[in-house]
Amino acid sequence: MLPMTSINVDRPVTRRELLHRSGMGMGALALTGLMEHAGLLTSSAAAATNPLTPRGPHFPAKAKRVIHLFMNGGPSHVDTFDPKPSLTKYAGKPLPRENLRTERRTGAAFASPFKFKKYGKSGIEVSEIFAKTAESVDDICVIRSMHADVPNHEPSLMLMNCGDARQIRPSMGSWVTYGLGSDNQNLPGFIAMCPNGYPIQESQNWQAGFLPGVYQGTYIDTRHTDIEKLIENIKNNYTSQPEQRRQLDLLQQLNARHQQRRQNDAQIEARIQSFELAYRMQMEAADAFDVSKEPKHIRDMYGPGTQARQILIARRLIERGVRFVQVWHGEGQPWDSHDDIEVNHRRLAQQCDQAIGALLKDLKQRGLLDDTLVIWGGEFGRTPTVELPTPGANQGKVNGRDHNNHGFTMWLAGGGVKGGTVYGATDEFGFAAVENKVHVHDLHATLLHLLGFDHEKFTYHYAGRDFRLTDVYGRVVRDILA
Amino acid sequence: MPTFRFFAVVLSITLPVAASASAETAAISPEARQHWAFRRVHCPPVPAIKDAAWLRTPLDAFVLSKLEAKGLRPSPETDRAALIRRVYFDLIGLPPPPDEMERARNDQRPDWYENLVERLLASPQYGERWARHWLDVARYADSKGYVFTEERRYPYAYTYRDYVVAAFNNDLPYDQFIVQQLAADKLPLGADKGPLAAMGFLTLGRRFLNSQPDIIDDRIDVVTRGLLGLTVTCARCHDHKFDPIPTQDYYSFYGVFANSVEPKDPPMLRPPEANAAYAAFEKELKAREEEITRLKVTRTASRIVGLHLPGTAVQIPLAAVNRAFQRADRDKDRALQKRVEQWKATSPLAPPRPMMLEDAPHINASHVFVRGNPGNVGEEVPRRFLAILSPDKREPFHEGSGRLELAKHIASNENPLTARVLVNRVWAQHFGQCLVRSPSNFGLRGDAPANPELLDYLAWRFMEDGWSIKKLHRLILLSATYRQSSEDNEAKRKIDPDNSLFWHMNRQRLDFEALRDAMLAVAGRLEPNLGGPAVELTKEPFSGRRTLYGFIDRQNLPGIFRTFDFACPDTHSPQRFITTVPQQALFLMNSPFVVEQGRRVVAQLHGEPTEARIRHLYQLTYSRDATDEEIAMGKQFLASAADAKLSPWERYAQVLLLSNEFVFVD
Repeated sequence: MLPMTSINVDRPVTRRELLHRSGMGMGALALTGLMEHAGLLTSSAAAATNPLTPRGPHFPAKAKRVIHLFMNGGPSHVDTFDPKPSLTKYAGKPLPRENLRTERRTGAAFASPFKFKKYGKSGIEVSEIFAKTAESVDDICVIRSMHADVPNHEPSLMLMNCGDARQIRPSMGSWVTYGLGSDNQNLPGFIAMCPNGYPIQESQNWQAGFLPGVYQGTYIDTRHTDIEKLIENIKNNYTSQPEQRRQLDLLQQLNARHQQRRQNDAQIEARIQSFELAYRMQMEAADAFDVSKEPKHIRDMYGPGTQARQILIARRLIERGVRFVQVWHGEGQPWDSHDDIEVNHRRLAQQCDQAIGALLKDLKQRGLLDDTLVIWGGEFGRTPTVELPTPGANQGKVNGRDHNNHGFTMWLAGGGVKGGTVYGATDEFGFAAVENKVHVHDLHATLLHLLGFDHEKFTYHYAGRDFRLTDVYGRVVRDILA
Repeated sequence: MPTFRFFAVVLSITLPVAASASAETAAISPEARQHWAFRRVHCPPVPAIKDAAWLRTPLDAFVLSKLEAKGLRPSPETDRAALIRRVYFDLIGLPPPPDEMERARNDQRPDWYENLVERLLASPQYGERWARHWLDVARYADSKGYVFTEERRYPYAYTYRDYVVAAFNNDLPYDQFIVQQLAADKLPLGADKGPLAAMGFLTLGRRFLNSQPDIIDDRIDVVTRGLLGLTVTCARCHDHKFDPIPTQDYYSFYGVFANSVEPKDPPMLRPPEANAAYAAFEKELKAREEEITRLKVTRTASRIVGLHLPGTAVQIPLAAVNRAFQRADRDKDRALQKRVEQWKATSPLAPPRPMMLEDAPHINASHVFVRGNPGNVGEEVPRRFLAILSPDKREPFHEGSGRLELAKHIASNENPLTARVLVNRVWAQHFGQCLVRSPSNFGLRGDAPANPELLDYLAWRFMEDGWSIKKLHRLILLSATYRQSSEDNEAKRKIDPDNSLFWHMNRQRLDFEALRDAMLAVAGRLEPNLGGPAVELTKEPFSGRRTLYGFIDRQNLPGIFRTFDFACPDTHSPQRFITTVPQQALFLMNSPFVVEQGRRVVAQLHGEPTEARIRHLYQLTYSRDATDEEIAMGKQFLASAADAKLSPWERYAQVLLLSNEFVFVD
């Protein structure tokens, strides 16, 4: 990946050189030591370039990279992937059981306004609003028994992304990039896309926390199509490319003279290389984000609009070796349908359904689905009961649903997951997960397992203890592994 | 806060006590007491060495004896220009201006170097540089992080930053520095309320959705890892797995902070100027505050009226009405409160106030939360100091929350950790490498120092010298160890590849602040004024203030900070990572900021012939003469055509700012 690296094979690489060549000094000592300890540094040569050098996990694994489609705000499971006929039976009447406590008061059973239909060989039922996605249902494993801890956006977003509701912890994209590096040194290893601005909790969702800053998600506002608005400093507005090349040539000359009297300092060498990498990144990044380079039939397959564009970009990024791509639906919490769920959920699904379906088919036709894990879901689901009016909180239309952490749906596809399966179940009405419950920690444990990590051994030593994405929890859901 | 305490107290009465009733903790094992970092600091005997001629300050003997034992020789003294540049960046974080470089290089006095060190230590820019190192320890930021819709900016965080700058510049003894940061409210301050701002150390952490146990945890963490090099917060849910820190000790500290509150209206640090501008500020503030009062009055009135309406209303209990309106009311209240906070945070006229703590009006007993769960209240624990750092019989804290007693236990010559931890941090900045490589973990799992006698000597001497940080700098900077060349030596590298014995100086790369400040300095753009509210650094028109004064938004820290390995402002940062990634190069190649500084450098060049201008450019950027070969290279580059936007000179100057010579310090 890094042709500029020169390793003298006649002489064993010392630990100090390794460190230095890895482009990391002081604080990295602990990092490298731990990577060695955790079996993350498979060979000295592999680590000899920079902190994003690709490296192997604990054990061989199917999944090599991740696309996380984040339906922020909380999509309703009973309106998408978890049909509940009993809600129609009880529509407008109180449930025969007490409503579970959620953020706000909810009332009677609220039947889904959408039709469900069986799809594929597996015959899994999916709502009409995700009809295009459903065409790939035989590649999808629907987990209908997800649960989280609280019915509020902020802690649930933190739990879903970082494994802890409040405290400062690295996000899962940071963990994965720390563990595996990235296969393309000309692009960031972890990219978070969200059009028009940040989701709730903002850039904390892709924070590196106490890991080095290089593992933090690079935020891209996909409202823009102009490359310089997408990635900071990716383009020079003052100097033409040939002139910049001349600048870098002079820089290399100056640096070479400086280096002559400073032998065996890999930090100096790493910095020399970083300018050449940056020079190439300007081209490669511009190319990766430019969907107009796709043939028309592919663009048509994904469809029009921002969602389609960013989901197509996600495919272009992972194809180029980016390790972890998170695609957020939009700024704030678009899926938070406290009112008008029929109109809002239909509109939101319509924005992304075609593109998600296209992504699954496109990955498959390119042979990428086998080693790419696609995750779909929000931070929680929604209540099967209707939300009651709350002054200052909703518009009192009594046609929406409240947050629901007790039970919700996420689905996984590709990357070593058993397609065409449903795992777990909520109760008769979809209020709470009851069968084969999967906590968010379990999802994380499973995700890490699919990528080749033992989640209990994948740790980072910080502030006196070994931290994990799963803290002291998590269980790998073996039944969904292919 | 009051709700929370209420909760704890009630539960402690109603629930059976889950853990052992004994508040006296298990005795600390003799092995733990013998751990090197828990033994009292003594002055180690000065070791015998062969080459006494090499020694310059007493610490050199400790370094040399270890080197000699390994058959190593120190590196030769570095050349004068390199030493000048090194000590400039080290002490004030800025390059030597060409005339200063000239003066120091030609200074014929035998004590030229001592004089230079004194000049730099006396410069106010010294405090700015070294304060920033402390702000990493203190997880400094200008914002609270995510707190729903509340105003996020801390209006007065900068008062803490300015306090730290002044503390370094005035060489405030470190023990007093600690006591002021933990308990300035308990000190007899007299007229100068300035030290109250020191308590920002405790208060300016992240606010974790206003969750009290997490806020307190963060405060315990910054105190224990930051000042003691102990990971006490590992004991939040259970006894520490490795270190002799029972969970009771965590809750002893928890009790100290649970009984400390932030006053609603802290005193002004300086009286405002009585003028029309300030009157306008106050008028607006009053107007915004009155909106809140007005709303509350009308709200109560309307609810009472509502209850007297005929028909339905009388049947609705007041509580239900209140509940229904609660959310809307709360949102309105918050919005109005935010307007008040916004005004304080954005008006330059808002008089500075300290982010202080004071004791709660009623001191409550503290209890263990079993498995860290505030809903599961266990045994009562007295507020007192850590078992491992105390004699077997421990006295509980007597005065109020106990913060002052806590501070005194830390800032004590008896404390085996405080001085060791601090000298290790200072050493790390000077040498780019710690003596103890886990600078915030001196516990059983921390790294033992490669040269424990050196560490102990420095710690002992530091306390002997009245906890003076400037004296510590002198001891280190004037040493032969510090004055070594940074050159590599293959034979020595084979014996000590990590340079853990300091047989040469480590070459260091400028950190984010020094890099940006150095660019501003050579561009003639650096603004010399000290202190004041934080400024936006990343947007045009670019500020010329030092990077220290940049607004640190811990929620969405501008990407450029972490790209350049800036400390994560969310928790105490033991040391910075040093990474080399292409995003750093992209910033230097393409950002309008760097292009602007390149232009400004060129605007200063004088002299007509190209050669003279190149020489001047080298003086400005590298503080040295250009060689003939370098002049030839420059001329060749300059022979190209002008771009539409930048002249060849401007592109040339930018290249020098990008170069390794500009960012590495030998």
